[in-house]
Formats: sequence, C-alpha cells, structure tokens
Amino acid sequence: MNIQNLEKSTWFYLCITLLLFILPMVITERSLQFIIIQIFIFGIFAMSYDLLLGYTGIISFGHVIFFGLGAYTTGIALDRLGATIGSLVIGAFIGVLLAAFVSLLVGMLTLRLKSHFYAMLTLALSGLFLVAAEKWRPMTGGNDGFTFRLPDIIREPNHLYILCLIFFVLIFFGLRRLTNSPFGKVLMAIRENENRTTSLGYKVVYYKVIASIVSGVVASLAGVLYALSLRFVNTGVFATDLTIDVLLMTIIGGVGTLIGPIIGAGLVELAHHWLSSLADVHWIFERWIILYGTLYILVVIFFPLGIIGTIRSKLAGRNK
Amino acid sequence: MDLIINLVINGLATGMLIFLLASGLTLIFGLMSVLNFAHGGLFIWGAFTGVWAYQTSGSFTLGIGVAIVTGLVLGVITEKLIVRPVYGNHIQQILITLGFMLVLQEFIKVVFGPNQKAVFPPAFLEGSFIVGDIVFIKYRIFIIIVGLLVFMVASYILRRTRIGLIVRAGVMDKEMIQTLGVNIKVIFMSVFMIGSALAALSGMLHAPYSGVIYAEMGLEFSILAFIVVVIGGMGSFTGSMLAALLVGLAQAFMAYYFPALSLAVNMILMTIVLIFKPQGLFKVEGGAR
Repeated sequence: MNIQNLEKSTWFYLCITLLLFILPMVITERSLQFIIIQIFIFGIFAMSYDLLLGYTGIISFGHVIFFGLGAYTTGIALDRLGATIGSLVIGAFIGVLLAAFVSLLVGMLTLRLKSHFYAMLTLALSGLFLVAAEKWRPMTGGNDGFTFRLPDIIREPNHLYILCLIFFVLIFFGLRRLTNSPFGKVLMAIRENENRTTSLGYKVVYYKVIASIVSGVVASLAGVLYALSLRFVNTGVFATDLTIDVLLMTIIGGVGTLIGPIIGAGLVELAHHWLSSLADVHWIFERWIILYGTLYILVVIFFPLGIIGTIRSKLAGRNK
Repeated sequence: MDLIINLVINGLATGMLIFLLASGLTLIFGLMSVLNFAHGGLFIWGAFTGVWAYQTSGSFTLGIGVAIVTGLVLGVITEKLIVRPVYGNHIQQILITLGFMLVLQEFIKVVFGPNQKAVFPPAFLEGSFIVGDIVFIKYRIFIIIVGLLVFMVASYILRRTRIGLIVRAGVMDKEMIQTLGVNIKVIFMSVFMIGSALAALSGMLHAPYSGVIYAEMGLEFSILAFIVVVIGGMGSFTGSMLAALLVGLAQAFMAYYFPALSLAVNMILMTIVLIFKPQGLFKVEGGAR
C-alpha cells in the first residue's frame, strides 16, 4: 500500500487513534477510563450491528445472543481453567466459534425469506438463550452471575484500556475495508434492491449469510471484552435491554456509516452514566427506557439517517 | 389418563390465549405486511387495565370490557402514530414497533408500579367440577370456550360477510382491491383495532389463568405468538388457530415432563417448519411473501 494514496479520512482516523492511545496518560481517573472502555466495547458491538442493519438491511432483535456467548465463554474459561492468557484465548476462541455457528444457522434458516423472519427468529432465540443461561445454574450462576479473576497482564486498567483500544481500532479499519470492498458494495446493493441484485447474478443469500456471520463474530468479540472489563458475567448479557441499547446507538449515530454507531455508542454510554446519577432528581430517570424508547421512535420517524447520515447528506447537497 | 386429559386441557387453554394474540398479528401482517412487534404491549395493557377494573369494581365482565376498550384505543394510537408514518418501509416499521413495545412495557411500570400483581379468577369461575373421575378446572374450560367463540365469530365474518370478503381479498392482493374502489386504509384501521382488542382480551384472560401479571410477560408471550405466526403461515387466520393449539399443547406437555425444554421445543418446531415449509403450514395463496 502506498502511503500517498491513503484517503484524507484515513489520516483523520489514524490521528484520532493516536490520540486515543495517549488518552490514558491524560485521563487517569478510573471511573472515566472505565466509561471510555465501555464506549470502545459498545462501539464494536454497534459496528457489528451496523454491518447488518445499515449495510445489508437485515434486522436482528437478538444480537445479544452473540455478545452473550462471547461474554459467557470467556467468563467460564477464566473461572474454570484458571486466570491465564491461555484460558482467555481458549474462552474467546470458543465464543467466536459458537457465535459463527449460531449466526450461520440462523442465517441459513431465515435469510432466504423476508426480513421479518430474521428479526423474529433472533428475538425468539435470544429469549431461549436467556432462559438457558438462567436455568443452567451450575455453569452460569443464573441471574446472580459469577465473578472471575483476570490474567495478571491485563489486571492493570491501562493494559485493559490498550487491549480494548487495539481491538476497537482493528475492527473499525477491518470493517471499513470490508464495506468499501466489492463485497461491501454487493451488500449495499442488496439493501437497496434485493431483486435487482439477484438478477445481476449475485447469490444474495450467500452474501447475506456471510454478513450475518461476520457481524456475529464481531459482536462476540465485543462480548469477550465486556466480560473482561466487568470481571463479572450474569444473564444481563442476554437481556433485551442490551439489544435496544445497540439499536439506539446505531440509529442515533447513523445507519450504514460505521463511524455513526461509534458516536451513538459514546452518546448512549454517557447518557447512561448521566441518567443514573439523575435518578434522585426525578423518578422518570429511573425508567430511562421510556426516554430512550421515545427518543428512538422520534429518531426513526423524523431523523432516519442519524447524526452522521444527516451531516453527510447535508455536505453532499452543498457540494452539488 | 387423568393427567393426560388435564395436560391437553391446559395446552388447549394456553393455545387459545396465544391464538387470540397471534390472530391479530397474522391478519395485520397479511393485510399490510406490517409485523407489529408492539402487539405484546397491547397484551399487557389489556391485562393491567382489565385487572385494575376487575379488582376495583369486583366485576370480571367489566374487567373484560375495559381490557377490550383499552385494546381498541391503543390500537388506534399505534396505527396512527407509530405504523402510519413509516408505512411502506419495512425496516423502519420493524424498528419502530419494537421501540413502541418497550415504551408500552415501561409505562406499565410507571402507571401500575414495577411489582407483579396477583390475580384470582372470579367466584363463578373458581374451582373445578368432576365428570366421571376426571377433574376439570372451570377457568381453563372458560378460556377454551371464549377462544372457540372468537374463532367461530371471526371465521364467520371472514367467510360470510362483505367485510370479510374485502379483508380476505386484501390479504391476497391489496393493490387490486384498491382499484375496485375499496378504501383499504379504513379496512386496515379496523383490522388493526380488532387485532389489538383481541390481544388485550388475551392478556386479560391470561391474568387469572397464570395467577400473576408483570410487565415483561408481554414480550415473553409475544415470542410464542411470533412462533405461531411463522408455523401457521403469515396471513393465515385458520393457520394461526391450528398452530396456536399445536404450540400450546407442546408447551403444556413439555412444561410437565421436561420443564427446561418448553421454550426450546417450540423453537425446534419453528425451525423444522422454516426448513421444510418456509411459508408456513397454511400458506395464503398470493399473500404477502
């Protein structure tokens, strides 16, 4: 790759990356670092969602399945096999493998049909996983969950920060490359007009299933990091609340932009932090899902492109 | 034998409740290809408002009436405010109805409090009666009768009246009947309202049956309704009835013999149907694909 051929935006993103690497030296406050780590993790999760919703036009209501699988396998491996890097790798690997398998299965079953089916099957399946995690107490600890120890190397918060950042940056550039590739263009063609893409000779189902698998794998990596950041796993990783969070992040930030979901993740995470401290002020902040749900409905009706999408379409309009 | 008959009755009663929820879902989908993820929200609102009326006034009939009215009103609100602005855009419809579902669910906690509520059947439906040496629980029989009545009345309307003819034609080809001068929006609105009322009725009837009501049961129950819609074929009214009974029976038997697998068995049923008959067991000819 020739350095001079890099796009302007790539330089911009690389500069941001550099800044993020320096950040932990400036911000030393633990709780703030923790929020930033959460933003990275949910940024990854929201990007994986964007690949489905924004680029391919597939709706999943059970994306937490993959997230939860990654979190549980990591937690269980570190708990049972001892707190070493080896067991972390084994746990993460099994999580990714399971996520790939489940997304392949769901994709093969429903992606031949209308988008409703994928949404319904994933919603039902996430309910099944939630029940399974609650019932399989000896392994998962049910709703109480279990805590586990981290390997020595990443016990230091700065190291965990760097680990999450590396994954975040790699996944961002990886997905950006993927969506700009011919493969990504086919996905966007499917989103715009599925019948026409078929008639151009593309095997639409094959592309959709691959997108579903990539998205599932990325989501499971987010789950792995999530478990590491909390040192605790419970059935909350399969909860519908998480799905609505990630939906909100993707839609507020802007579907099909990849950078939008990251910004959405930042906003939603900060709002979480902020709203939970407002709970003493007024009871409505305790029921924050109402605010989120209402905001989400308004965004879908009035602001369907999201923040980044709206800015981009404004800019494109001015250039013409 | 005693046990098996009781499990069958249990399954049929659950099946009828799922049918009440799924029938509205499937007709709305068939007519306008809108998959209403907020349907479970109407279920819990029916349950909570109905139970509130029933417990304050002491009249179960009044409770049912209030639940149905709630369903009708919420149906209008959902259709006008939530579904209509994004009509024609599938992705937005799916997203927005799920968002509305969560808002409905959380508002329950605001209005009625976050704790679950205990509900008992009214005196005239409490207890059981004995035929031969088999014990029948009155309330379950009552649910089965109500479900059958709704099915028969709705089938009659769908098959024998002009309105039913229009709805069935709309499911097959909505453009065509619009060209024949039918205002499909009015038809759709009425079907949406009736579907919502049935969902609310289902919630109200479910309350004394399960004994407790809580806000999250809407989403749990609507997952069963989605499974039924897929198995029965999207848009098929009779299909939703048969599939609901199938799912209800599977649920009842598995809950007794292998409680951990009761949701799994319905997922497996749905998976098998998706593999071999992806359009459902009772595909509507020319219906929404």
